Amino acid sequence: MPQDLPPAGGYEAVQYKRNIPIRGLQPVWYLVGCAAIMAYGWRKVFLGNREKNELGREKMWSRIYITPLLQAEEDRDQARRYFADQAREKELLGSTSRPYNSDRFVRPTITYSPSKVTRD
Amino acid sequence: MARREPQFNQTVLIDPTPMPEHIPKVEEIGASSAPLMKAYGRGELECMKEGRKVTRCAASVLKDINQHCLDEFRQNWNCLDNHNHQMWQCRRSERVLNRCVFEKIGLQKVIPDTPKGDVPVHLRDKQLFANRRSVLYPGESDVGVLKERFKSEQRQGS
Repeated sequence: MPQDLPPAGGYEAVQYKRNIPIRGLQPVWYLVGCAAIMAYGWRKVFLGNREKNELGREKMWSRIYITPLLQAEEDRDQARRYFADQAREKELLGSTSRPYNSDRFVRPTITYSPSKVTRD
Repeated sequence: MARREPQFNQTVLIDPTPMPEHIPKVEEIGASSAPLMKAYGRGELECMKEGRKVTRCAASVLKDINQHCLDEFRQNWNCLDNHNHQMWQCRRSERVLNRCVFEKIGLQKVIPDTPKGDVPVHLRDKQLFANRRSVLYPGESDVGVLKERFKSEQRQGS
């Protein structure tokens, strides 16, 4: 029995590719577009952060400049309370004593509270 | 839970005793709200003279500003009060105030350690975080100062 043989000159090429033109942009351009949008946004973030740093610097220096003023008032208030405390102790006990073995000024942890609460 | 009245509330911690007579009087600014820590524990009693100097200096500056630039000052703090004390919202009134203070009193606002070559943040014409980004109005070279071109146009128009 004669065998089935390929036709003379071989078979035709099998068409497995779809012969459709590519629609729209190539995918790589979408990637590039995303990157461009991201770069724009990150640039804005960088500039904003730089400005935020400067605003923080401004705030910190304004606080540093005003510190001596606040400190002076606070210290005067502490000194006034201290002298008042000493005078009260002198009046009650006839002498003043030092609870701490040091010359440092210690902010009092126990505060005198007047028996009659009045504030005008 | 806490049905008991708090015993150590602020009202009973007031000590109304005035300062002893031997310490000179100084009128307070009335600005201190928070206690600030110190490096040396004796400073409260030993630096009182310097503290009085500081307070009197600050009081004199405030007096000068109130005397010479009261309108600008009031405008600036009103703006700050209305904008949650965000300084970048009030650059326009701040620059007007700064110019007045510099011309009348000679004090200038300087922020140390600003990067070299950068415009200091309080002098920038564009504030990125402000509701209204541009500090200057159109046709201005500085706040309240028109450009030459717009000046001549105005002259022609009037």
